Amino acid sequence: MGERLQNKKANEMRNILIRYCLIIVFGIPMVMPVLWMLTTALKDNVAVFKMPPQWIPDSFHFENFTQGLVKVDFWRRFLNTLFVAVLVMIGSIISSLSVGYALSRFRFKGRKVWFYLIIGSMMIPGMVTVMPMFRFWSRIGAYGTWLPMIIPAFLASPFNTFLTRQFLSTVPKSYDEAAKIDGASNLQILSQVIAPLCKPLIAYMAISSFQGAWNDYMTPLLYVISKPEKWTLSLAVARLSAGSYGAEWNLFMAADIVYFLPILVLFFVFQDYFMEGLGSMTASGVK
Amino acid sequence: MDISLEKKHSDRADAKAGKKPFWKTETFQGYTFMIPTLIGFPLFCVYPLIYSLYCSFCDWDGYNPPAWAGIKNYKYILTLDPIFKKSLLVTFEYALINVPIMLILGLALAVLLNKKLPGIKIFRVIYYLPTIVPAVAALILWQFIFKSDTGLLNGALRQIGLPTVGWLTDENAVLVALSIIKWWTVGGMMMIFLSGLQSVPAELYEACELDGAGGWAKFRHITIPMITPILFMQLITGLIGGLQAFTEASVITGGGPSYASHFVNFDIYRTAFGDAKYGRACAEAWILFIIIMVLTVVVFRKSETYVYYDNE
Repeated sequence: MGERLQNKKANEMRNILIRYCLIIVFGIPMVMPVLWMLTTALKDNVAVFKMPPQWIPDSFHFENFTQGLVKVDFWRRFLNTLFVAVLVMIGSIISSLSVGYALSRFRFKGRKVWFYLIIGSMMIPGMVTVMPMFRFWSRIGAYGTWLPMIIPAFLASPFNTFLTRQFLSTVPKSYDEAAKIDGASNLQILSQVIAPLCKPLIAYMAISSFQGAWNDYMTPLLYVISKPEKWTLSLAVARLSAGSYGAEWNLFMAADIVYFLPILVLFFVFQDYFMEGLGSMTASGVK
Repeated sequence: MDISLEKKHSDRADAKAGKKPFWKTETFQGYTFMIPTLIGFPLFCVYPLIYSLYCSFCDWDGYNPPAWAGIKNYKYILTLDPIFKKSLLVTFEYALINVPIMLILGLALAVLLNKKLPGIKIFRVIYYLPTIVPAVAALILWQFIFKSDTGLLNGALRQIGLPTVGWLTDENAVLVALSIIKWWTVGGMMMIFLSGLQSVPAELYEACELDGAGGWAKFRHITIPMITPILFMQLITGLIGGLQAFTEASVITGGGPSYASHFVNFDIYRTAFGDAKYGRACAEAWILFIIIMVLTVVVFRKSETYVYYDNE
């Protein structure tokens, strides 16, 4: 009996060891590219192309970062991107809370129809609507502005609306009914009762919409490509490597890093919301 | 008890409704909060769908008003245009290389990391890290790694004595190269599966253990069936997303070499904003749309046989 128990324990130890080994083996390709980005950004122009690959540069060139910043006109583009991303974030939260609240708390005619329309509209491939939308934004004089990036966020993206509606259907109605009896208006219920109960959802939407706007490449490419002073960082970084054939990879990587850095900082501050949110939100969307 | 209470309540509400001014009715209040969608849905869905469908039957240079041309665009795309067919082919190839491996890898990593061990959280962060790198930054980074003569990947291959690959210059390799970039971001998928795994009731495993089932049997007969809804959802979104690849082509390959990464979306973009053939681009977009719809319906139909839902 004792021997069997010991055997079992040894077995378990071995399993754990194998698991750790596998985790490390798969983990290496996950971090290597990011580390490569970092070392390359610190190399000089010659060391960049040295073969075999050099993981620790002979000399560290921190000036690459200042040069990279200049190359992408960093501060201007950073502020552009930040401006757009913050507005997109605010718009997404307000509009999806509002529509999600309507769909989950009011019994009005057509509620089901609207819900299915919203779900259905998630299926539409973006490219189908791009040409007409391009015509629309150009017609109203919004070409060359950030409006095509910002306005849609304020008009309730289908996915966020769907998530909010699903999330709110798990929030007990007794809270808002109690507030209603106390004479609160619907707007007060939404902002003072419902919204505080939705903190994880709001955090998730804030992060994902900010990240979405920060990463968005196609919309700025379509609408502000002709106005370099309106470029976002994504556009500036992409154009930098496409536009110059000088192959200054150390500078490209430095620019890549400064573009990535704000998101990385956000990630480490709100890590749990990034990682847990993704899983639970998507899982709740399935049900 | 509950039912009668609710009925009483709604009766009272009905009785009151007669006295209520219309702006206090539930319908009006509900629609007030619906305003973002009431504007957004017609503007971003109805109008563009109808207009692009109409334009797909027109000659439209984006400047002059669209002129009716019948099925000319569709006829050209489906019979004469050599690029569209090629781009459909590579788009499907790309999705087929990508999506299944992404699902399997995501699930495998989730199972691997679904154990309370010291330091496991750090590894979850490491696995998740690539998904937060902005797409443009990730693509440029990998473009550098994939360089034929001086790239990291070929350098490593050479060091261990393997032949090098022209990752972005060989038309047989470019889709694999782009897929590697996709697989690198498997961490997001992994987190979704991980939360799915953690929501499987532990009793099920315990019951299975009592019956003497081993690790694989547990995985095969409990884990897989319990997470089929998530698996299915990821399959659908993966397919829909995979068929709409654009940024990869736009940022690093430019559709090449010899159209080997000329995805449909990239082709549509080029047709519209490069060649100013907006009508033809709309027709291409509608063909893609119809393909995606048909595929989604087929996957949904098939899913009824193997997706397990808790509440049914």
